Amino acid sequence: MSASQSAVRSRAEAVKVSRTFDWMILFTLFFVVLGGYHIHYMLTGGDWDFWTDWKDRRLWVTVAPIVSITFPAAVQACLWYRYRLPFGAVVCILGLLLGEWVNRYLNFWGWTYFPVNFVFPSQLIPGAIVLDAVLLLGGSMTLTAVVGGLAYGLLFYPGNWPVMAPLHVPVEYNGMMMTLADLQGYHYVRTGTPEYIRMVEKGTLRTFGKDVAPVSAFFSGFVSIIIYFLWHFFGRWFASTEFVSGEAV
Amino acid sequence: MKLLLRDKVAKLSFVALLAASSAAMLYTPTAAAHGEKSQAAFMRMRTIHWFDLNWSKEEVKVNDTMTVTGKFYVFAGWPETVDKPDIAFLNVGIPGPVFIRAGSWIGGQLVPRSVSLELGEIYEFKVLLKARRPGDWHVHSMMNVKGGGPIIGPGKWTTITGSMKDFVNPVTTLTGQTIDLETYNLENTYFWHALWYAIGLAWLAYWVRKPMFIPRSIAIESGKANTLITSTDRQVGIAFTVGTIALVAFGMTSTNEKYPITTPLQAGLLRGMKPFEMPAKTVTVKVEDATYRVPGRAMQMTLKITNNGDTSVRLGEFQTASVRFLDSAVLEDTTGYPDDLLAEDGLTVSDNSPLAPGQTRTVQVTASDAAWEVYRLADLIYDPDSRFAGLLFFFDESGKRQMVTVDAPLIPVFI
Repeated sequence: MSASQSAVRSRAEAVKVSRTFDWMILFTLFFVVLGGYHIHYMLTGGDWDFWTDWKDRRLWVTVAPIVSITFPAAVQACLWYRYRLPFGAVVCILGLLLGEWVNRYLNFWGWTYFPVNFVFPSQLIPGAIVLDAVLLLGGSMTLTAVVGGLAYGLLFYPGNWPVMAPLHVPVEYNGMMMTLADLQGYHYVRTGTPEYIRMVEKGTLRTFGKDVAPVSAFFSGFVSIIIYFLWHFFGRWFASTEFVSGEAV
Repeated sequence: MKLLLRDKVAKLSFVALLAASSAAMLYTPTAAAHGEKSQAAFMRMRTIHWFDLNWSKEEVKVNDTMTVTGKFYVFAGWPETVDKPDIAFLNVGIPGPVFIRAGSWIGGQLVPRSVSLELGEIYEFKVLLKARRPGDWHVHSMMNVKGGGPIIGPGKWTTITGSMKDFVNPVTTLTGQTIDLETYNLENTYFWHALWYAIGLAWLAYWVRKPMFIPRSIAIESGKANTLITSTDRQVGIAFTVGTIALVAFGMTSTNEKYPITTPLQAGLLRGMKPFEMPAKTVTVKVEDATYRVPGRAMQMTLKITNNGDTSVRLGEFQTASVRFLDSAVLEDTTGYPDDLLAEDGLTVSDNSPLAPGQTRTVQVTASDAAWEVYRLADLIYDPDSRFAGLLFFFDESGKRQMVTVDAPLIPVFI
């Protein structure tokens, strides 16, 4: 076969090869993103995502969407510009959550016996679906950043509330009031995670009384817009192809 | 020749890699202790001095409790290189949640949160542990200090028997519900995560059922990008958006109906911990000099001791970094203190006859034991601020004890 000949002999064979490529690329993309995104999220979101007694109404709500919109923005940019495929955010979050669940179940529970109801990951899929859908419907990265990024931040807290609310039921313990999540953090000993490094309920949003979660979510949404812009450029740069002439090499 | 050499190096490297990975997989000893020996000697000698420690049980069944009690002295000569314990947390050094911490108190105050400690004060503490995972575990007292890291106290081996499957952790909430915190909310967590994951997969499935990368890339490069998104795609996008927002709203509303009373996470610093009052000191000690004889694994101090009390006293114990050096003629340990941290005859005093009231005596005190090496306290001589510190315990004729702290430069002797 010479270089000018086709590798396939019929349209059916071309379709088959194309689909095989599809699955290979999707499989590779899924696990490469899973690995990279998981490390990124553990390094930046870390304890906020590990433990229920870090999942508060101020900083967790603020930090988690901001640091997690990164890879979705980059992968969306790549898949949209090159293929018009609007599933970049969802594929990232599916990969991240699979990696997180494997990690929490095998490491946190399997090796160190922290109960799963104390170490489950945050829910990010609602925001990812809306992020992808806005890109699909608007076809614009700017619109996706502004509307999708804001929605990504806003949907985070209510999307997690059905799982977190039962752990925010108060309990009286030896004369002090705490939530069940606080009690989990106190009961299940972490020698390397003392109470004082827990960054919860810190900030200056005191004038909003008890309703700080929506304010934090809005702030998170605004910052997510900026982070989306930044990481979308990373995605575009990463997905670009540049041909260099032999003379330049 | 070069190629041959390169091939050989490559082959040998591969064999070495294989051998290393096999060794790593086949030999995995249990890491049961906490690296306390690796902590800088000055950290253990000059920060928190743990004493009077007691582990209530050496063997405990799953679901049964035991306590670790004792006192700790927040050393007045706290090193400059370690942040002061303005924010600290009473912890327990165990390999993960093999016990749950059912309670912890400083001076009778429950301390689930961080506390502020004062230099030069002594505090009494208690940690209540409930056995959870069977095995032999090294149980340490521990104080985490913000900016200073974990300051680990003495550890004692404790055995938990039974089965972890039997472990329960019942808690009654302020809404009157009694739950098992070990498994509470687990099914709800699995349900919501599975549901959202399925919805995410459905979104992905919609797109991957059609040709993806090569045909779409060709279409875009040939200027047909606009044809790739159909009206059905848009309708599906709208359906997923509306469905997602509706499900989030439904989840939020139904959860609020089910759990109308929730409170934010509790956080804050506990100040004003009540110190423990030790009997008034009547003995004063001045360290004339102190040397550490490297070959002999012994520390020698010249102490000028003055007894200002009304009864004679004798030196019974020198304690530093949780290692106790006793003069068995004065004091015998009956508390079951860990053997490796106890030198029962490790303290020698040149003249340890009763020191009469009003009398001053200069004595040579030698604290010698393998613990200096085993617990790597001898590494103190490599610290940037080569000082030692510890607690001296004097006993009067009736057995009453008083504690005096020492803090002085240490000169190593190599020959």
